[in-house]
Amino acid sequence: MTVAEVRARTAESRSQHEVVDTGGIGRSSSLKELEMVHNQAAVDGEAKFRLGSMSLYYGERKILEDITMDIPERKITAIIGPSGCGKSSFLRCLNRMNDLVEGCRVEGEVLLDGEDVYRRECDVTALRQKVGMVFQKPNPFPKTVYENVAFGPRILGIKERAQLDEIVESSLKKAALWEEVRDKLKEPALALSGGQQQRLCIARVLAVEPEVILLDEPCSALDPIATQRIEDLLSELREKYTIVIVTHNMQQAARISDYTAFFLIGCQGDPGRLVEFGETGTIFTAPADERTERYITGRFG
Amino acid sequence: MEARKDFHQRLNELYEETLRMGSDLLRIIEKTRLCFLELDRDAADDIIAGDDLFDDYRNRLEEGGLELLARQAPVAIDLRLIIVIMRIAQKFERMADLCEDIAMAVKNIRVDRIHSWIREAIDEMARRAIRLVERAMECFKERNVEMARELDAMDDAVDRLYRGFFKEFDRGREEELEVAVRIVMIARFFERIADHAVDIGEHVRFMVEGK
Repeated sequence: MTVAEVRARTAESRSQHEVVDTGGIGRSSSLKELEMVHNQAAVDGEAKFRLGSMSLYYGERKILEDITMDIPERKITAIIGPSGCGKSSFLRCLNRMNDLVEGCRVEGEVLLDGEDVYRRECDVTALRQKVGMVFQKPNPFPKTVYENVAFGPRILGIKERAQLDEIVESSLKKAALWEEVRDKLKEPALALSGGQQQRLCIARVLAVEPEVILLDEPCSALDPIATQRIEDLLSELREKYTIVIVTHNMQQAARISDYTAFFLIGCQGDPGRLVEFGETGTIFTAPADERTERYITGRFG
Repeated sequence: MEARKDFHQRLNELYEETLRMGSDLLRIIEKTRLCFLELDRDAADDIIAGDDLFDDYRNRLEEGGLELLARQAPVAIDLRLIIVIMRIAQKFERMADLCEDIAMAVKNIRVDRIHSWIREAIDEMARRAIRLVERAMECFKERNVEMARELDAMDDAVDRLYRGFFKEFDRGREEELEVAVRIVMIARFFERIADHAVDIGEHVRFMVEGK
């Protein structure tokens, strides 16, 4: 049984004993309004995620306000903006990692392939398998290289050694790490270099066959060569996966992404807002909003 | 807090230098106009010798722009400004070359005086060309796209003058062929200077609007 089959079966079994609720959380905007806003930030091809007037709260505090944008399928979308503007929080809304934050609340819509990820019957585990995440600091498990990659598939119930071997090898190949670690599969993952560990984390995500990969400043702890490797890797992965990357490095956004979203907070304590979203080429040569221009040219921030 | 302070300072230096190149150029075009009116061969020699100044300006601006592109990875308005500075430097240098060409033609006109109607017609073109260059520099300084659009109409007037002059000159020509050719070339060179000024307006439009 492949990972996809496992996923299909578990989703099926879950939906059988869960209450169906078609209403999302705090759905306030009418569909017509959403259509209009979506058209303003139209993207080529299909949208993987469609966000409609999404706001995020941690308790009383509003972290993000009224975010409406499409995240195009099989493209790289970069999220840029000064520290504290809610970039990482935004990313974590997409696979509900914020659920772990006390008092977290999301309003508006976050549609993944047309389905609200905040609907009551959404299977969060399946969601996070479909929408994988890579963090700022490489965080491999204190296990062998092999076990790190096999971890996800094992949880999904794949037990056959031959099949696990195959998944591990193909995931490491997709993550452009296989050649470097094929003789080190039984060695501890923490013995790898930082760049290799980060690619291992990407391989670990790929092993459960996700459709979307979220990366939260994946290169900020890496040297330039390792960074280059990750960037090359992301360019290859864009053919099959929808990639959303938060980066502090504007040149990285300019180099690798197809679309760029610029987030900003007005004053300290205000929620983050989406100021501008568009094709990366346009954003970095002739942005429409003066605040974007001032930020990317280093005139503030 | 403004980040990238050194970068913006360096970019501003390039911008200021472009303006200096422009005002030096305006002086030379004016000198060229007088040089033609008075058939002043000494002034012609000066203009020819002074052309290196503009080659140097252009080289400095181009190298400065390239270095910023390579080292600072500029974006948005900064990127467009650098590109436009490099383009304008090229245009200014071409205009200075045209002044040199006019000076050469003046030197080689082997007569002591030319018909006053010819002088006046070419002088009118030269004055208008100078106004175009002044205007182009203003719109670069003020980043004024509306002003850039006006350059087209101003240039149309120069083109009309040139065509009118050419027709008139052809009909009533009394000069020997060689002199006539040089006079036509001088008129043509002033007309070309005006064309370059229009191009600068186009570059300013790109700088401001990004398209």
